[in-house]
Parts: sequence; structure tokens; C-alpha cells
Amino acid sequence: MSSLTMRPCGDFRTSYKQDNTIFETKTIRWVAILSIIALCFAPLIVDGYFITLLIQISYLGIAALGLNILVGYTGQISLGHGAFFGFGAFASAWLSTSLQIPVFLSIPLAGFFTMGVGMMFGMPAARIKGLYLAIATLAAQFIIEDFFARADWFSGGSAGSMAEPLTLFGFAFDTDQSFYYVALFALVFMFIWGCNLMRSRDGRAFIAVRDHYLSAEIMGVSLNKYRLLSFGISSFYAGIGGALYAHYLGYVSAEGFTIFMSIQFLAMIIIGGLGSIKGTLMGVIFMVFLPEALEGIVGIMKMTDWGNIPMVVDGLAYIKEMAIGLVIIGFLIFEPEGLSHRWTQIKNYWKFYPFAY
Amino acid sequence: MNKNITNKVLLSALTVGISISVTQAQAADSVFVGHLADMSGPTAFVGKPYADGVRDSLAYINANGGIKGTKLEFETIDYAYKVPQAIASYKKWKSRKKMVAMQGWGTADTEALISFVARDKTPVFSASYSGHLTDPTGKNPHTKKPAPYNFFYGASYSDSCRGLVQWAYKDWKTKNKNRQPKFTHIGANHPFPNAPKAACAEYAKELGFKVMPPVVISMKPGDFKAQCLSLKSSGSNYGYIGNLGGSVLSLVKSCNTVGTNIQFMSNIWGGDKKVFEAAGEGIRDYIFPTMTPFWGDQAPGMNLVREISKMSDKSGKKERVHHYMRGVCSTFFMKEAMEWAKDNGGITGANVKKGMYAHTNWVPKGLEGVCLSANWSNDDHRGVNQVNVYKGNYNDGDVKIEQVSQVTLKRRDDWLGY
Repeated sequence: MSSLTMRPCGDFRTSYKQDNTIFETKTIRWVAILSIIALCFAPLIVDGYFITLLIQISYLGIAALGLNILVGYTGQISLGHGAFFGFGAFASAWLSTSLQIPVFLSIPLAGFFTMGVGMMFGMPAARIKGLYLAIATLAAQFIIEDFFARADWFSGGSAGSMAEPLTLFGFAFDTDQSFYYVALFALVFMFIWGCNLMRSRDGRAFIAVRDHYLSAEIMGVSLNKYRLLSFGISSFYAGIGGALYAHYLGYVSAEGFTIFMSIQFLAMIIIGGLGSIKGTLMGVIFMVFLPEALEGIVGIMKMTDWGNIPMVVDGLAYIKEMAIGLVIIGFLIFEPEGLSHRWTQIKNYWKFYPFAY
Repeated sequence: MNKNITNKVLLSALTVGISISVTQAQAADSVFVGHLADMSGPTAFVGKPYADGVRDSLAYINANGGIKGTKLEFETIDYAYKVPQAIASYKKWKSRKKMVAMQGWGTADTEALISFVARDKTPVFSASYSGHLTDPTGKNPHTKKPAPYNFFYGASYSDSCRGLVQWAYKDWKTKNKNRQPKFTHIGANHPFPNAPKAACAEYAKELGFKVMPPVVISMKPGDFKAQCLSLKSSGSNYGYIGNLGGSVLSLVKSCNTVGTNIQFMSNIWGGDKKVFEAAGEGIRDYIFPTMTPFWGDQAPGMNLVREISKMSDKSGKKERVHHYMRGVCSTFFMKEAMEWAKDNGGITGANVKKGMYAHTNWVPKGLEGVCLSANWSNDDHRGVNQVNVYKGNYNDGDVKIEQVSQVTLKRRDDWLGY
């Protein structure tokens, strides 16, 4: 992670403006803007299946970015992110159906509710670190999960609760194609917000807490405040992601928000790159496409004569499950700094081509 | 540098892998049926035999003329009980293959897809028997979300439990005890075991049971002696098991060690020959419901089931558990609804739904004695209201299963969707 705070030699910045920029170069800025515009046209080009995956990337990406702010930038750990994601989903569904709050307000409100819950469970972070903190947040996972199953008034208990589609000025975003724009807007908004946060005083304080908490404290950064704030922001992101998930499906069931989901969020940010905003997105894209790509390979096998027998197809199903684990191990060994680091290396390679040093 | 190149090759290989997407050419006259199965996830214990039943049936239908000449294209996807994979597969089938109907699996995928299938008019035949799927129009004020395109073959979890409770009450009376019997719900705090919890407890109370506080055991196998001790000390007489697979095994073994004197009654997934063989000594008069006969039974329709089984087991020797037969029934009801749809305006999702209402006292052709007769109507999706109650005994390894009762439940309005 050291490369995140130290700039390579030759990278001089001579003004505050340069130091504060969101996009490092003009080209990057234009590429970002153009790719967002291109994504706006996606429903016209790709089919419903890809739109679903893009929506999945959006809501998971928002939640994963929250976790990256907590783990990658502030150096804390949370094993309860899946439960916070679920809390956002239920909170938004509850606000919109029970209290009749319009969905476009209930989504951000659900974010703030989740923020409160996250800060409550983040309180132990003031006292404990590392593995101990991991176990304390693990408790949050189980407490919240059990709460979902029992709190009939809030989550509908075992029957689950329904979430109305998002409507704005009488237009209902209830198809994949229309909801895609909501998801895309939320993704872009939350990622720009994340980028902005990281170049602010608070963002620098997070990094200071992560890199050397003692020095940070000596410099006047309040450790408790920033650790707690980080938990709050991280849960806020999880809540927004969860709320989008709820209104996309139209139905929330207590079953999905398990410890496995929390681990998967951690896997996403480790694969993407801890302490990297674009890495978060890369990790999420990778984790969403991996099972689909493996399914595609199984599909190709099924088309062949020798492959389309139950023994082969079932065997491949097991291999598919194992492959996800293998990829995570592979990343930890060969690319512990994640996809974003790999991306930088590829970029540098071409930048200096053919005279790489 | 060399390492770098290898890494790059690896990475580009991955990218290529990701970008590969499969599109199969559609045959001229064919319809597509998606099949979601859990063969490697947490419910694989029963998910595998059920999925085999569905898959073999689909293959058999295809090998024998399809839907009146229309080929049945299908794909089985093992989604490992993960909701995102289930949604993605559903969307893929819907947008690329023009899916007309789907064979689903458990609580997780069925509930996540309720809104989508209603909007897309795609009938889903699930193996999730939650009571709230049976109210298609929201007639019962209990129903939060009507599920107009969800069907399943069998009695709902709530109705099965009601049937068992009814049996239990008779059983208690024949034992001629004057005390009030006690009833306990045993299961994890999860949507699947909880589905019949309130409905069943209500009915047990109505019949005259004393309903004890539910006992929570995890879905994962573990040491449940503490829970068994609390069952023992509460003096509960009848316990409904809401879990499945390994968790049931652990419960039976733990309670056997502790010496709990309770009559276990399990849900439909919690009792089959495999469970009894593995649980061993603890299986004494273990009560469970079924919707089909067993592999060795002599029912007229079993000949067809044995033919279907040969689709994946050419020797025909493999013994199938009763979940397999339910998969067969679920598929054949769908098949006949499709046949009706073909004669009445073409095989589309909406017509297949109508086809489900076209028959009364309906048993798929060739499966007499295997599938119970069913009645679906456009405001009542309780297809089957009959519960066969069976008793299992371990008998030192010679597992014996016998029918003890057949309960027919009233179609009460307040039970619709609940």
C-alpha cells in the first residue's frame, strides 16, 4: 500500500490545484466523461442480460467503495458489510411502504439510517484494532442478520418485505432499462463523492490514521472521530447500495445478507486494490463477470457432444465454485495490490514503450 | 520481466474468458425452459435429487415428441443458492432465449424473482413451497405480495405442517392421554424453516395443542444437545422440524443421546431414505410428509418414472429419493399446461398460466399414482391440498417406511397465502 501515499519520482505538482485534481490528466478526464456518455447508450446496444450485470455492478460497486474507504483508506476492518447492505435494503423498503416516503427520498434516508447503525457497531474501533476489531464487527453481522429474521415490523420477518419501484414525476423506473439509468447515476454520483472525499481534509485524515495512527494523533487528528466517521461513511455507502438492490428486485428477503456476502465485498476490494477508488470498480466488475464467464465456459462444454452429459456438467459446476476461490488465492499471491496496480503497470509499460527502464 | 510477461498472458487469458458469451442458435420450432438448480450450494443435499428429476423429465419429454411436436430447449444452471447468480441467469434466459417458463428451486431464488416473473409473465414452478406463494390475487389481507406467476407441485409448507398437526392430534387421542399435548416448532431463524411457523402454531392451538416457544437450531449441522435438553425439560410431545439435511441428522442424533421423548415430524425436505440411513438409531417412528410414492412402490405411474430415470442412469438401477419424483411431477404439470397453451393460442407465458387452470382433479398422463391430483385456479394456487403422512424407522439398518395417514385439508379462505 506504500505506493498509494508516495508518488513516483518525477511526478511533480507545483500548485494546489494540481495537487487537488480528481482526474490526473486531461486525457483521463475525457476518457471518464466519454465512457459515462457511452454507458448511457448501453441499453440501446446490449441486451437485457448485460444490463442486469451492469445494474449489479452499480449497487455492489457503491457498497464495495464504502468498504474500501473503511478498509483501504482508514485501515480498519469490517466483516459486517453484507449485513449493513441488507439493512439499507430493508430500511428503504420499510420507509417507502410503511411510512409512505417517496422512494427517491427513502434511498438516501436508508443510507443515513444505515450510517447510524454502522457507527454504533463501529464504536469498538475506538478501543480495538486488527483481528479483535474484525471479530467485533463479525458480531454486527450476526446480530443484524438475526434482527432481520425477527423484526416483523421492520423487515417482514421470514416473509420478507416488498419494495416499490422508484418513481419520479409519475414515471416508474420499473424495467431493467430504465432502472439502469438510476443505478448508473447513483454509481457515478457516489464515486465522484468518494473521489472528492479523499482529496479533502477528512480524506487525508483517514489516510493518516491508516498509515501511522500515532503520528496522526500527534498532528491533531482525532483518532476516535475519524475511525467512527469512517465506519459511518462506509455504512452509508452500503446502505445506498442495499436500497438500490431492494428497489431493483422489488422484494427483499432476509436470506441473502449472510457472512458470505461480507466476505465477497472484502474479496472485491482486495482483488480490485485496497485504497483505490478505480480499483474498487475493477474488483466489482471482475467478481460479477467471473461466475458468468465460468458459466459461459460450462455452456460451451454443454454444446459439445462429449460435454453434454450430466457427469461433466455437474463436475464443472463444482469446478466453477472452486475457481472463484482459486482466483482469490491467485490474486493474493501474484497481485496483492490488486487490479488497479496491474492497470498502472500496464499503463506505464505502454507509456515508456519501447524504452522501458 | 519474464514474470511480468507471464502475468500479462494470464491476465489477457482471463479477459478473453470473460468476454466469451454463449449464444445458442434457436431451433425452428422450439420453446425455452430455464432450470435453476442448487447442486453445489447449501441446499444441495436435496437440491441434487430434485434437479435430477426435473432435468431427466425435460430430456425425456424432448426425446418423446416434445410439446406436441415443439422441441423443448432447456438449460440447467447450478446457481449454488446465490441470489445474484439466479437473477443473472433469469435475465439471460429472458433476454436471449425468450424463456416461456422456468423450473426454479428454493426460497432464495423464488422470492427474489417474484416481481420479475409477474412483470414478464413467466410462470415459475418452484420447489419452494412457501404458503405466501399460493395467493395469486392478494385475496387474503395477510398476503403482502401477490405472486400470480408462481406455482409449485405439492402442499405448501404451512399446509403440510397443518396436516401433520392434524395427524398428531389424532395420534394423541388414540394414545388416550388426558393431558393437553404440547407442540414445538424446531428450526433455524431463516425464511425457509420459518415459513410455516406462525400458520402452523395457530392451527395447533386451534386444535387444542399447547404451543411451546420455538426452539432454534442452526441450518448447519452441529451439536444440538442443549436444544434437545430444553425440548426434554419442556416436556414437548410433538416437534415440527423446519430444517433439512445435515441439520436434521444432527438434531436426531443429539436428541437420541440426550434421550428426548418427543415425536418428530419434519417438513417435506427433512425426511428421506438418505437421511434415515445416515441418522441411524435416532430414527424411531419419524413422521414426515410426502407428495409422491417411493422408489420401490408399485404405482401405475412408476413405470414412466423409471423410464425417465434412465435418461441419466442407463442401467436403471439407481434408487431415487422421493424429491426426485416431485421434480418429475412439477415438470409434467408444466408440460401439460404447455400442451394446452399450444392448442389455445400458442406457448407463451400467459397461456401456460391459463393452461394451469384448464384442468380439474388433474393428474399428468402416465403419472397416475405418482402425482397427487391437483386443482389450480386463478385465485387459488394451492394446487394440492392433500398430505400423505409417512413413518420412517431405522430398524438396525433395514430402513422401513410406511404410510400412516392421508390428510385432506380444507381450502379455508383464511389459509390462502398463509
